[in-house]
Amino acid sequence: MTVAQAPADTSSARDPKAAAPLVCLRGITKDYPKVATGGDRLRTLASLLLRRGDMPHFRALDHVDLVVRRGESVGIVGENGAGKSTLLKIIASVVRPTSGEVSVLGRVGALLELGSGFHPEYTGRENIYLSSALMGLSRREARAKVDGIVEFADIGEHIDEPIKHYSSGMAVRLGFAVATALEPELLITDEVLAVGDESFQKKCIAWLEGYLAGGGTLLLCSHSMFHVKTLCQRALWIQHGAVRMEGNAFDVTREYLTYHEEKSAPARPADRFARPDLPRIESAWTERADGSAAATFAQGETFVLQGIAQHPDDLPPVLLFGIVRADGTPVYGSHSNDAGYRPVRVAPREYAFAVRFESNALLPGKYRMRVHTLDGLRLFDTFELEFVVTGETRDYGLVRMPHAWVPGRGRTG
Amino acid sequence: MGIVPSSTSATSPRWGWLLLSFARREVLDRYAGSASGLAWTLLHPLAQLAIFAFVFSRIFRIGVPAAYPGVDYVSFVAIALWPWIMFSEGIQRALGSIAANAGLVRKVAFPHRLLVFASMIGTCAVHCAGYLAVLLVLRLAGEPIRLSGLPYAFVLLVPYMLLATGLAAFLAALQTLLRDVEHVVQVLLQMLFYASPILYPASLVPASLQGVVHANPLGWFSERLREVLLRGSAPVPGDLAIAIACVAVFALGLWFFERLSPHFEDFL
Repeated sequence: MTVAQAPADTSSARDPKAAAPLVCLRGITKDYPKVATGGDRLRTLASLLLRRGDMPHFRALDHVDLVVRRGESVGIVGENGAGKSTLLKIIASVVRPTSGEVSVLGRVGALLELGSGFHPEYTGRENIYLSSALMGLSRREARAKVDGIVEFADIGEHIDEPIKHYSSGMAVRLGFAVATALEPELLITDEVLAVGDESFQKKCIAWLEGYLAGGGTLLLCSHSMFHVKTLCQRALWIQHGAVRMEGNAFDVTREYLTYHEEKSAPARPADRFARPDLPRIESAWTERADGSAAATFAQGETFVLQGIAQHPDDLPPVLLFGIVRADGTPVYGSHSNDAGYRPVRVAPREYAFAVRFESNALLPGKYRMRVHTLDGLRLFDTFELEFVVTGETRDYGLVRMPHAWVPGRGRTG
Repeated sequence: MGIVPSSTSATSPRWGWLLLSFARREVLDRYAGSASGLAWTLLHPLAQLAIFAFVFSRIFRIGVPAAYPGVDYVSFVAIALWPWIMFSEGIQRALGSIAANAGLVRKVAFPHRLLVFASMIGTCAVHCAGYLAVLLVLRLAGEPIRLSGLPYAFVLLVPYMLLATGLAAFLAALQTLLRDVEHVVQVLLQMLFYASPILYPASLVPASLQGVVHANPLGWFSERLREVLLRGSAPVPGDLAIAIACVAVFALGLWFFERLSPHFEDFL
């Protein structure tokens, strides 16, 4: 599938607007009126006509700013009901914001819900014409594209059956095929990759990658962090109608996942109640290889856990450290006993210890380090600290396993 | 608050095809799934005509005024009845068009007025065909209908339907926000039907109410259509005046609609 777009450099020479951002939102606020009762509706109507802002409402978006330049791909993540769809609808000019400035240049293709322009009684082919008309194509343009659309949708002879007999996956295929045929300068998609089957998803992603490589601009709303990381350079995290975080797609998706990991984590243990008559951890912290205290490390960076333990009997305490991900998933832990480690006595009843993590293998994310004092059977004390590993990766899991892709040998014999 | 629409500007001629698609859908959807399809759209007004003709000419014995010699009551009513059906049915269909296409309004950016226009165009297209057919049949049956008056009759229908479209736009916007409108409109349309000289000649109205009848644009159009089609009347200055008034209603209704249309999504 070709992505025929005017090259940005030539168009910018002719059109000064081309240099401006495709999408520019400033202070976008959207209030939805509460219209549960007829009285609410009357009051809302009056305030709309008189342009007064005193209607009963709830706020879906609260002062959101967003700038998308030509050729950028921006992911929008957030929980259900966070305001993602409202934001996309505002950019697609389906919804007018209550306040704030919207400027959207260029030809916009919006897939706010696949199959939305479709009429269930009509065949797939008839619906292609109707939705191309809705997207602003002329009849001639649509006729030239219909074969390509049918081919891309790849739903066989179902194309001449009424849409109401389609599975949701088939409707999605057709919807995506129509949207791509529009060759928009800005493509807005809301959770559309989630519906198709595996092979169609791959086809869509391949098309989107080609579209982006050809200078297309993408706004992708998805619950799949994989899709956001694969397709987007930047990401926006919307929470309760406001921007919680904006930045590099890798950073935002990591923070977002961490947020969910923390949300689903079991409640933290109650504050520690260290008894002075038992061995306890006085303090612990993490630092870089050069000895500066830090709680954020790059993936693969060497870091050191430093700490001070107290033993009432002035004996070297037995220590245990454990690393868990923010959601409580254990990653790794180890005993000082097993290594035959003895902390250094730095003061009466005070022992300093350190654990060096050479080129740490943790994947980017938020982690908790727990340090314990114990004897053979009993856990005396738990000290907890948090740290973050940053980096860009598409690896899965908790740690990076040392590995290499090597030539295959085939089946022997 | 500023919205700078992209190339999806509402004035773009590309929407012409969408409007036609909507109108076509409006016509085809009417009786989708019914065996006789479009035949119902012709049979329904014919049945109404038969009932009115029987009740008013046989039972109430309303006569055709002397100004129309040799004209049967059926022709007299038919000429004003079909435009009325376009007027009232168009308004009623346009009224529900926003809610009926809620899926589109909530998810796709397009000028919502196209839905109102398409309802009116679809309704007019269907009933214009029926109107022509009925006039031709009456002519063949020997009624003194002047086919030479047809072009001007259809010119008169333009402001008549613009009036309907303006009212429809106003009411459709209101209906989207307030669900009560359709019930009120049903009653109002019924009152308007009997208050307008469609089933009876304007001359039958008591002198004290003549002013009201003449101020009613529906009465004006009904009387003028009869004069044009039965007596070959030429255009009169009043036609232009009433056309200007209809265009004004159309513009006002559309202005009101456009004022509320960005908020439709909030209410669907």
